[in-house]
Amino acid sequence: MWLNQFLILGALLFCIGVYGVLARRNGVMVLMSIELILNSVNINLVAFGAFNGTPVGQVFALFVIAVAAAEVGVGLAIVLLIYRNRTSIDLDAADLLKG
Amino acid sequence: MIATLLAQVSSTFEPPTLDFHALAPEITFAACVALLYLVDMIKLEDGRRLMPGLSGLALLAPLIPIMTLALDGADRTLFGGAFVVDNVALLLKAMFFLSGYVVVLLSTNHLAEGDFWESEYYLMLTSSLLGMVVMSSARDLVTIFVALELLSIPAYLMATWEKRSLRSNEAGLKYYLMGVFASALMLYGMSLLFGISGSTLLTDIGARIAEGNSSTPIVSLAIVLVIVGFAFKVSAVPFHSWAPDTYEGAPTPVTAFLAVASKAAGFVALLQLAFVGFAGRTDVVEPLMWVLAAASMTVGNLIALRQTNIVRMLAYSGIAQAGFILAPFAVMSDSATESLTAVVTYLVIYAAMNLGAFVIVIAVARKTQSGEISSFGGLFGYAPGLTVAMTVFLASLAGIPPLGGWFAKFVVFKALATAGTPWGYSLAVVMAVNSVVAFYYYALVLKAMWFDEAPYGDTSPVRVPVSLISATGLTAGATILFGVFPGLLGHFTGSLEGIIAVLPGG
Amino acid sequence: MVAQNIFFGIIAFVMVVAALRVVTTKNIVHAALYLVIVLAGVAAQFILTGAEFVGVTQILVYIGAVVVLFLFGIMLTRARIGREVEVDNEKRWLAGLVALVLFAVMSFALVDAFEDSRIESVSGGTPQLTSEVSDAIFKDYLIPFEAASFLLLAALIGAIVVARRE
Repeated sequence: MWLNQFLILGALLFCIGVYGVLARRNGVMVLMSIELILNSVNINLVAFGAFNGTPVGQVFALFVIAVAAAEVGVGLAIVLLIYRNRTSIDLDAADLLKG
Repeated sequence: MIATLLAQVSSTFEPPTLDFHALAPEITFAACVALLYLVDMIKLEDGRRLMPGLSGLALLAPLIPIMTLALDGADRTLFGGAFVVDNVALLLKAMFFLSGYVVVLLSTNHLAEGDFWESEYYLMLTSSLLGMVVMSSARDLVTIFVALELLSIPAYLMATWEKRSLRSNEAGLKYYLMGVFASALMLYGMSLLFGISGSTLLTDIGARIAEGNSSTPIVSLAIVLVIVGFAFKVSAVPFHSWAPDTYEGAPTPVTAFLAVASKAAGFVALLQLAFVGFAGRTDVVEPLMWVLAAASMTVGNLIALRQTNIVRMLAYSGIAQAGFILAPFAVMSDSATESLTAVVTYLVIYAAMNLGAFVIVIAVARKTQSGEISSFGGLFGYAPGLTVAMTVFLASLAGIPPLGGWFAKFVVFKALATAGTPWGYSLAVVMAVNSVVAFYYYALVLKAMWFDEAPYGDTSPVRVPVSLISATGLTAGATILFGVFPGLLGHFTGSLEGIIAVLPGG
Repeated sequence: MVAQNIFFGIIAFVMVVAALRVVTTKNIVHAALYLVIVLAGVAAQFILTGAEFVGVTQILVYIGAVVVLFLFGIMLTRARIGREVEVDNEKRWLAGLVALVLFAVMSFALVDAFEDSRIESVSGGTPQLTSEVSDAIFKDYLIPFEAASFLLLAALIGAIVVARRE
């Protein structure tokens, strides 16, 4: 297997995730797109770890998975709080603060 | 069967040798934080009264091991270079603990008088500070990443802490989405750095990308993604859009924490990445930093001119100050020692003066319940002490001698001039123009305080609680001290050769 | 080796299609379910590279916990289960352009740097053992490991405080 087949797959997921972050206006959907980016990072890390013959890539990927789980938990807590207060999670409606 | 398997596994595992003295500040603080969690769990509602005092103690206790380490003076390297305790790291740790202490002083009355979950607030604050303290020593991608998340995740939650306020909710959501997106971009860059070098140690990465055959687009892409990720964190233009909204919406003590400690932690990570990891590729780092610095100064200042809300004004002035702190990075190859000194000095002084300004804003808002600059009108008439203190902080932020902010700007100019390149001189000119512009909006607040009439003729005195008075004293003392005796910081920053020595070319 | 490459191709194709659906579907529950396909595909790729422990963790944590969290979030915010009209903002075309340019730059950089290097060539085809991974965590990465434990605790307590009803 070539290293680049994994890396290009990672790059594709990364760009799809970036598109999602920029194009979506629903908070939960933006969060899903960010998960796509984090998964592309993990594919990179594991492939590079196998390529360089070191377990460090897998270690890094495990840390990313653990932190991502915490991030999603926190994010959904915030989304839930906002929904309670205004019954909408549309990001474009979040406009009390304007710069 | 299982026993023999376990014996086989455990025989191959050699536990790492730990230098417990080097880790003492972290261990002490982590133990105190764990204790805070226990107090919250066991005492429940009764614990509320204890929490501010206990978290204050938890923040001061680690200063003792920091002292002993500073007196010892030797640089300590753990985990093959992943965790370094040198003078700079100790100085930054002390700064984080003391700023955390001031934030606790700021928060006590604000929280007790509002509709907040108090005990858990201090748990979030101390957990976040633990991440910053680890960040000060981290010289490894995994450690930097986990420290960054440990300091950010509680901060996202703290921004939403005023649960019934939609503005606070929104502030938290914006900060969260921006922060998570930025850390995802940064992680992709880190994964490429790991792929190129096969190691997560910054020294290995630095050595690998400094090699001649590494002038490939992939290194540039990795460096750009990592720096952009941190540019969000330190709210550099054009990645600043979250900052003013988050600062205005979040509870003001949290804003002070985000504007000072959280931003400083982002700079600490950038410092280590740029000077240790990317020193071999200054051809990528310097132009990028030049643009970020010039844009942050100019845009931050120009928008700050138009603000009528003092917290938003401080947010945009913070963006401009971030530009000043980024400036030395743009000349890091030509004047490495001066740039490093300038960044560290500016960070420490900025923490003191900006926290101080927020203390006064909180103290005045206790009476006026307003964040408008006009609410500072006639402050001298009924609160001369606060007025004098605010004058000190604003004059320092504007860079007027003999206050700390003046010295901070001076070392940045010195670093830019020492470089002796057109890039350095041009950035120095941009910075000089911006310092003058900045003076104007700080002076507007000064004018309101000293010469304007109090709104509605309300001149009843401000009741300032003891905690805010001590916070003012601490920050004002530090601001004046660093300006009058700039040599104080020199003890630490003078011995920066330790960090420079690891540079591949230096 | 050929079989591995065929499997890789099939899984990668399914993943990319599912990922595109995650960011384009108008139905939020469908988006979460397409995300499951992507995450399972990532786990399969991990196993192809010999990182079986990370693969299993991916399934347990991501599919077992994160997606369930997403579904709970969707349920508790009572988002409409059917199609929603306005899930994308007006800047969709600009976003697509940014993503395309980014992909062009990234794939150029990746191909330029790693050309046709093969995963097996350096490591000799021997996958990293899970015991090596655990040794590394508890030896070189002890500090991030401890920091991560504080991170999870803080996230847990903070999320409960923020999300609970008063």
